[in-house]
Amino acid sequence: MAQQHRTLILGLGNPILGDDGVGIAIAREIKKRRPADPATDVIEASLAGRFLLDLITGYQTVIVADAIMTDEKAEAGTVYELSVDDLGAVVNPYASHALDLRTTVELGRKLGYDMPQMIRIYAVEIKENTVFREGLSPEIEVTVLPVAQKIMQDLGKSVIRDQ
Amino acid sequence: MGNKITINPVTRLEGHGKIEVFLNDKGDVEDAYFQVTELRGFERFCIGRPAEEMPRIVPNICGVCPTPHNMASTKALDLIYGVAPTPTAKLVRRLQYAANFIEDHYIHFFFLGGPDFVVGPNASPATRNILGVIDKVGLDIAKKVIDVRARTRDIIRLIASKPPHPEGGLPGGVPRGIKEEERKTIIETADFSVEFAQFALKLFKDAVLGNKTYLDLILSEPYNLKTYYMGLVDDYNKQNYYEGMLRVVDPNGKEVAFFHPRDYTEYIGEWVEPWTYIRLTHLRKLGWKGLIEGNDTSLYRVGPLARYNVADGMATPLAQKEYEYMVSVLGKPAHHTLAYHWARLIEALQAAEDMQKIANDPLLTSKDIRNMNFQFTGKGIGCVEACRGTLIHHYETDDKGMITKVNLIVATQHNAAPISLSVKKAAQAFIKGGEVKEGMLNMAEMAFRAYDPCLGCATHNLPGTMPLVVNIRNHQGRVLETLTRDA
Repeated sequence: MAQQHRTLILGLGNPILGDDGVGIAIAREIKKRRPADPATDVIEASLAGRFLLDLITGYQTVIVADAIMTDEKAEAGTVYELSVDDLGAVVNPYASHALDLRTTVELGRKLGYDMPQMIRIYAVEIKENTVFREGLSPEIEVTVLPVAQKIMQDLGKSVIRDQ
Repeated sequence: MGNKITINPVTRLEGHGKIEVFLNDKGDVEDAYFQVTELRGFERFCIGRPAEEMPRIVPNICGVCPTPHNMASTKALDLIYGVAPTPTAKLVRRLQYAANFIEDHYIHFFFLGGPDFVVGPNASPATRNILGVIDKVGLDIAKKVIDVRARTRDIIRLIASKPPHPEGGLPGGVPRGIKEEERKTIIETADFSVEFAQFALKLFKDAVLGNKTYLDLILSEPYNLKTYYMGLVDDYNKQNYYEGMLRVVDPNGKEVAFFHPRDYTEYIGEWVEPWTYIRLTHLRKLGWKGLIEGNDTSLYRVGPLARYNVADGMATPLAQKEYEYMVSVLGKPAHHTLAYHWARLIEALQAAEDMQKIANDPLLTSKDIRNMNFQFTGKGIGCVEACRGTLIHHYETDDKGMITKVNLIVATQHNAAPISLSVKKAAQAFIKGGEVKEGMLNMAEMAFRAYDPCLGCATHNLPGTMPLVVNIRNHQGRVLETLTRDA
């Protein structure tokens, strides 16, 4: 049960839209390499908006891994460390698809839910996510292990074994 | 070429929509086009895979409405295997589907429609959001919204393992039945859902219909669009979200088509325009007539307002009373785009009442949940009413059951051309002589929200906020001014 754990590692993305699935790949990498740890859950989710509320409630710390597209000049594979505050202000989205993480978190707080005290986001710059395919591009694939390692270091659990 | 105004999210994650507004030489609105990013290669991705994988693949198409994709896919699988679900399996599926309708519709009304109507269309953007709705309706009510969706999602989880991305979907049945000891909780959820649906409708009547300004907005010409309508109806022409025949009515409310979803290609045409990747649907027998409304159009709408217009009524008693009241206020057909919100709440009540009925059905807990008397056909067309409108999944396979053809028609595809027209009408009210009046963004966004279009369905959440941007361009395409909204 979520409430019994303190930390959630949340890999987001769509694994059948190529590089969109990098967050999922990072979560899988962590799952594969970390020893059993009852204090940490690793979840993959192809979700948006409101669905995240169900996932993050009850955790003290949440680390999100996801893909991001910032602007055309950004280099594929660039990794950003973000906080929820970096995601801007609460919005009134124009469609269900536009309900963002920041608004979801504020909603949970407003409702008095047990929201995470700390949310850290690792976002990997991607260039393409409109073609249905499995697997990551080489320049994105190489980011998976380092980000997974960084996340585990963040947790003070540098237990990832070398391949 | 006239001037062009672009309304485009700064970032596109989990929302790829863009509106292009073209002005004529006088600076008045000539056309508006709703565009979404194309997701390519889905058919190629599916070809060669076993058909039974489809109900597990298709929920990934959309991070917001995966259950309807799962259900349409499962129904297509029934037909490929030539098998009907057992009565109990059908009840379980309908239970799952009703739960999905309740959850999705409330989220839409309170999170999206609520800020416009409960807080108010002219309120500051800083308060015109879900947090503002909570301040207005009170924390207890807000918690009930969250509670009702948590409970309904528990039902989906019970049946389909994961509520966001259901894992169930077997030809002729369901992977898991309902145990007798689980019935009590389901009944409690159904009762709670009915009670809450009635509350939500009362709130709508008090806060929206009771406010002349809001009612005038609903009835106003910019939000009035005369089209055809399409949706599923049952044997009595009442609303049905899981199955039935597709009924089409014209802009005057007269039935012009009534057909089985398997015959959709005879009635629904798909048209390609250079300004959008979406294959625009229209009534095939009328032919493509472009982006026009009125009696000469061949465009139709789907979703809650369309279902209100095509059905002779609701299938459950309390929802029927609410439907009758809506008819007494708006008449039929109702072309008021903002009335999508009202129709949506009435549908949530029907779904809740339906859940109540299913929850109390003795057959629900039978162990007869799978019919495996397969008569393989190699072709299946599954159709459901998704919350946002008619959803069709069409698959064909080789003799080994491997996918050879896939065609999907989703709600936003049906509505794409009408959305363009709705935005055009809203823009016309706010752009005159090249001058963009304040409130243009509000008007366009409100039209958007009524339809709640699915925008490409990638599943990102980052970077987060997606303010809309208006680029005002001169006739040479140069940006004269950029308007953006910060919350």
